[in-house]
Amino acid sequence: MLTKRLLMAGTALVTTLMLAGTAFADPVVIRIVAGDLQPDDPASERYIKEIEDGVKAMDGTEVDIQMTPIAGSGYADKLGAMLLGGDIPDLIYFQGGDQKMVEQGILVDLNPLIANTTSLKNELYGHNVERMKNYPYLVYDFPPRAPQPVIRADWLEKLGMAPPQTVDEYTALFQAIHDADLDGDGTPGNTFGLTAYVNTNELDDIFNQAFGVTGTWMKDVDGQWIAGRVSSAEKAKLAYYADLAKKGLFDKEYVTNKFDVKEDKFYTGKAGVIFGSSAETVGIYGGKMAAAHPGETITLTLLPVPKGPAGQGLAAVDVSKESRGWAISALSQHPDVAMKIMDFLASPAGQIVDRMGFEGVHYTKAADGAVTVTPDMATWYARFSYAPSFKPPVEWRSQASLDFLASVNKWFAADNSFVWLADYAADVDAAENVYRSWVAKFITGEAGMDQWDAYVKEWTGAGGAKLTDYARTILK
Amino acid sequence: MNLSHVIAGHKSPGNVPGNPEPSRAVRLSLGWRAWWPYYVMIAPGLLFILIWDYIPMYEARMAFEQVRIIPPNIWVGLKQFQTLFASPVFYAVILNTLIISGMKLLFVFPVPILVALMLNEVRGGPLRKTIQSAIYLPHFLSWVVISGLFIALLSPSDGAVNDLLKLFGMQPVGFMTNTGAIRWVLVISEMWRSAGWDSLLYLAAIIAIDPQLYDAAEVDGANRWQKIVYITLPGIAPTIATLFILNMGMFLSAGLDQVFNMTNDVNRSTIDIIDTYVYRIGLQTGEYALGTAAGLFKGVIGFVLIILTHLVSKRLTGRGVW
Repeated sequence: MLTKRLLMAGTALVTTLMLAGTAFADPVVIRIVAGDLQPDDPASERYIKEIEDGVKAMDGTEVDIQMTPIAGSGYADKLGAMLLGGDIPDLIYFQGGDQKMVEQGILVDLNPLIANTTSLKNELYGHNVERMKNYPYLVYDFPPRAPQPVIRADWLEKLGMAPPQTVDEYTALFQAIHDADLDGDGTPGNTFGLTAYVNTNELDDIFNQAFGVTGTWMKDVDGQWIAGRVSSAEKAKLAYYADLAKKGLFDKEYVTNKFDVKEDKFYTGKAGVIFGSSAETVGIYGGKMAAAHPGETITLTLLPVPKGPAGQGLAAVDVSKESRGWAISALSQHPDVAMKIMDFLASPAGQIVDRMGFEGVHYTKAADGAVTVTPDMATWYARFSYAPSFKPPVEWRSQASLDFLASVNKWFAADNSFVWLADYAADVDAAENVYRSWVAKFITGEAGMDQWDAYVKEWTGAGGAKLTDYARTILK
Repeated sequence: MNLSHVIAGHKSPGNVPGNPEPSRAVRLSLGWRAWWPYYVMIAPGLLFILIWDYIPMYEARMAFEQVRIIPPNIWVGLKQFQTLFASPVFYAVILNTLIISGMKLLFVFPVPILVALMLNEVRGGPLRKTIQSAIYLPHFLSWVVISGLFIALLSPSDGAVNDLLKLFGMQPVGFMTNTGAIRWVLVISEMWRSAGWDSLLYLAAIIAIDPQLYDAAEVDGANRWQKIVYITLPGIAPTIATLFILNMGMFLSAGLDQVFNMTNDVNRSTIDIIDTYVYRIGLQTGEYALGTAAGLFKGVIGFVLIILTHLVSKRLTGRGVW
């Protein structure tokens, strides 16, 4: 009897000690690196604290998230150098350069970890799922980045035009903007219908499908795969851009514009239409435009995806891999906890933190639970997840931002691009530079469209032929 | 204190027949005692060069390896160099580098000398100081700012330069997107940024010229131009030769920051240089070994150039870097 009692008491003691041990165990340390999360930034500290509290509330896991400092610009380059030096945090945000790390075997396959999540696995977008099948090392739970055009609603009204539905109607709109005096300098004819920055990627997003550039790789009349870059559809599209530029409707100086110059031309009325790359960007443009014109009531209108001679839709989305996103180190002692952080942030409670910021700063909550956003909300953005099912307690996004998201979902089409092997890096670089250079020459008028064959020849010689041969072995 | 005097002083007993020459250790010790404050003064600079310029050379071995974050790296011999030389654009990149560096050497290198000579001729103290301050200033601007400035100045639609051209009835020129003009934009912007600052060394060399030479020339009736040609220029010739040789060592460094900030889709093929190529291929795509191979190639060429220029200079002028 005594033995039995001792045994029971011993068991109870051991159980109590184990429970106490769990309760007082050191939290799991997860090192995280992201350009937007810096240890000396009070906002980052508060954000991390809210995540730690949220993960604990979710399933009791105590986690100590430690931020890794990477100061200043050039995050992607600095991150690469840091990882190459052997300093590899558990949770890593990549903006490129991840493929080299995969080749080195330092990133884990996220699919098994995501399969064990409660929220994240249900909150991925269609393109995320496709990308994870092809390249399971990065996850970026956001709508695809698909630049779309916006205009001031009052300008559209002033011009007496409806939102354009076709390529021809777009041309008419650009012409009307050009002929009007939107910047109010008293000189009509010096406003661009459209401006962009650095290259024509933004324009391609709504004009690719319209002119028949359906993907990175397309079949020619013989049924052979060729690069969309050298297709007749691409030629027709570039001829349209060149014509717009020749008429003064498209800003020829796009090539030297930086993003801030592009925006400035829009805010000052020197250009009537610009592209926003995401719903948030469109919201920010609206805010900046209003700030540039105090006293005026300004809203932006998202322009529709035009129907063209060969089709309609947003440019095909690259699903070969995420171009940016979160990865977990293969050297991490706690990949499951790192994934738990991402799972929490995709959950309704996590989305409040990630999408809405801090209570008392970005939004306030009344006694009856009613939520009101503050002006600071304009500076907040999600870092981890933009869960599609999340319904915020109050809608603060502009109509243009909401239209943007709806359009991205409506026109989603997967591209057939694939991940290049490292041996092709120099050829990809060379061929792409030839393409970019000729696009700018066609648009600025330095080269005529009758020199198309010269371009194709140069592109083919600069690695294009080698890339096409390889693509034909990959594509079915 | 002069070391030769010190050693000579201690050597004097050695001149006495029967007294041996002081040993190397003694001479080193004497040298150290005479010069130690200078050695201490130069030590941080030497340490800096050792840490940042010499120790990293060891990592150039990366050019012959496949880099592994989890060691060890794998030796691949000359594979990276073969990939580099097989690149469709590498030779164009080298040609661009040679042309841009050549233009800078030809047109930018002499300008600080001219600026220094002209500044030396400015007699009014306050005027000279004002000019000096004004022309040094661009040196402290980053290429990000300077490129923004030049893009705005040269804009075909509302840039000041094109406004002037239009005033004279000429057609505006897209200098930043004109493949014929962009290299000149690089040369002129480099000149604008560095001429004032680089003239400092020459100005210091001019100030070090013995004033008695000018006085003597004055007595002999030499005019300003003759003084410049026969006194000032020969006086700063060693400085010019040294800087020229050092510039040759940097011949393949055509200006990463400058070119990077002024590159766009139109002019890339004309001004893509080894440094921007290394940055793009090596850093942006994470091909560190390939980037290191390109960097090493550039370093070796630079080393050969500096030796050759030194030898040529030594033979022609009797002066070199050592």
